[in-house]
Amino acid sequence: MIPEYFSYTDSFLHKADPRMKIVSAACVTGVVAFSRSYSTGICGLILALFLIALSRFDTGVVVRRLLAVNFFTAFLWLTLPLTYGGEALTLGFVTVSRQGIAMAALVTLKANCIVLIFLALVSTSPVSSLGHALRKLGVPEKLCLLFLFSYRYVIVIAQEFQRLLRAAKIRGFIPRTNIHTYRTYAYLFAMTLVKSWNRAHRVQQAMVLRGFNGRFYSMYIQHPTAVERVFFGGITLLAVGMALLELRG
Amino acid sequence: MHISEGILAAPVLIGGGLLTAAGTAVGLRCIDTERIMSVAMLSAAFFVAALIHVPIGPGSIHLILNGLLGMILGWAAFPAILTALLLQAVLFQYGGIVVLGVNTLLQALPAVLCYYVLRPWLVRGGRHQKIAGFLGGFLSVFVSSVLMALSLALTDEGFVQTAKIVVGANIPIMIIEGFITMFAVSFIVKVQPEILVWKSNGHGGVL
Amino acid sequence: MEKEQAVVAIQNVSFTYPGREYPVLDAMNFSLGKGKVGLIGPNGSGKTTFFHIIMGLLTPGEGKVLFKGSIVQGEKGFQDLRKSVGLLFQDADDQLFSPTVLEDVAFGPLNLGASPEEARKTAQETLKNLGLRDLEMRVTHRLSGGEKKLVSLATILSMQPELLLLDEPTNNLDQETRLRLIDILNGLDLSYAIISHDWDFLEKTTREVYVIEKGRITQCEKASLHEHHHAHVYGDHPHHHGD
Repeated sequence: MIPEYFSYTDSFLHKADPRMKIVSAACVTGVVAFSRSYSTGICGLILALFLIALSRFDTGVVVRRLLAVNFFTAFLWLTLPLTYGGEALTLGFVTVSRQGIAMAALVTLKANCIVLIFLALVSTSPVSSLGHALRKLGVPEKLCLLFLFSYRYVIVIAQEFQRLLRAAKIRGFIPRTNIHTYRTYAYLFAMTLVKSWNRAHRVQQAMVLRGFNGRFYSMYIQHPTAVERVFFGGITLLAVGMALLELRG
Repeated sequence: MHISEGILAAPVLIGGGLLTAAGTAVGLRCIDTERIMSVAMLSAAFFVAALIHVPIGPGSIHLILNGLLGMILGWAAFPAILTALLLQAVLFQYGGIVVLGVNTLLQALPAVLCYYVLRPWLVRGGRHQKIAGFLGGFLSVFVSSVLMALSLALTDEGFVQTAKIVVGANIPIMIIEGFITMFAVSFIVKVQPEILVWKSNGHGGVL
Repeated sequence: MEKEQAVVAIQNVSFTYPGREYPVLDAMNFSLGKGKVGLIGPNGSGKTTFFHIIMGLLTPGEGKVLFKGSIVQGEKGFQDLRKSVGLLFQDADDQLFSPTVLEDVAFGPLNLGASPEEARKTAQETLKNLGLRDLEMRVTHRLSGGEKKLVSLATILSMQPELLLLDEPTNNLDQETRLRLIDILNGLDLSYAIISHDWDFLEKTTREVYVIEKGRITQCEKASLHEHHHAHVYGDHPHHHGD
């Protein structure tokens, strides 16, 4: 149900300080997201491909991620050329909007670029170090705790649901498009929710016993190396450059 | 339900981000130390709901259940949904960080509305509870898709048609979410009512 | 000779769950001091309730909890008690909530005021003593069931308690981890009380065994101090061996 995330290779990006990665990723993806020109998008895409290469991700993983993203852009390709209006362009039987195609293309470029950068810079850190990095970057303590605890129990809860679903299937439940199916799924999920609620209570007790007082401690103190400072500083400068290019162009 | 990166214009992204930051700040204030784990657990359950696919005709849709979450959590739904979406972004790259604010707003705002409008009905039981349950699922997806359409339309006039299609395409999801939320609510009220029927502590804040 | 002082004791404690007619604990008296004891009893006999009352997770309808001879009062009193008494939960997933093993084991010491460096050292030391050093950097939810159980024991031991309460520690454990747990417990220079249905496990890890039943607690006579070399085909019920 929850895919194995990313095999933790030893690439430079996997090892780098997550704070630097988050900040530089936010800068670059921010500029790309705000841009309305192809040139910025293409700059971003080149950078994204470079980072992906550096992250040494399995190509299969990257392709699967991109397929998921392009599900939505495919929807835009189906609708925008027909509905966008503006200059008409006749392609064989159909008349499409030139601006509509241009818009769909721009969105596709930006979406893929942002996802690749996010994949290379953020998803290369384990969730636990991201939680700690966010705290050090000034994200509220409670939010970081929510993030870490929620991640901790996602798999436990998913497995709980799967067990219930399996038990239902063993008793002859076949999901179809009918009320019985929806009622069954509702009950299975509600049962999962009730169990999670009660588990939360027990975990809360365990935390109280060990003196939990809402504080968020980090065991990992990582300092960015000189190489990392230069590298991620460079990426951030590049983002600034792209922003200037966008404003001028 | 979420919008991919790369589509929305800067003002929409920034506006959504600011509103989500405000909602999250209110939500975090409602969560005291004893309840962090409950909210985190529900946030994880909400994450899992999005991985559950139920059949519709030849295809399938995944559950959203933001209405149910809202009825349980109130304002705390904001940080809970933000957390779940951030995890989705990190683990599956469903949306990145730039569009996170808008996506959280799309799901959390209807959740909070459900809390204020529908939750009081749940306590009354019987038919009221069934109707409130159904509306909790139906309306939350409806409002989410309207907000989604709105953010597209505000980005670019050319998106207006696409935005209308988005709302239309979500109608079957609204109906299914309505039924599922209705049944889930009746289950919870029977099995462990205190999850849904507790005394509010007065400031919309929950737990 | 003065009787050795109990670490914790309960006096006349009664507890009834809301909506139930009969109390699960009925004017119970018991003390836990130095030593290794086992508690056995049917499901629903109040064994876990007993532990939770000691730790202040449940408040008894009547009676008192004593910590080192004085009555424990309010949350503050229990906070002090919890520094000296550790409770191992039935389900290790309830106990391990930090992302990584090291962070989880260091969580208690950090809350007790240790600096991150001290906490790290304590955590590593504890893991090493339990032979779990290689799990340090692992993500908690990816551990096996047996590893989870041993790590949750480490999270309690790192707080250096005087007394340990273990709730059904062998539930769902494989034979290998079970044996390892027996070794670990026997090697601990620490008092503990174990709730278990696993009679054989209690034989190997405790000196005295008590039975909780119908709200009362009684010592199980002649139950201890003999070795088991035969299989218990018909389950884990306490029984006498005519010697």
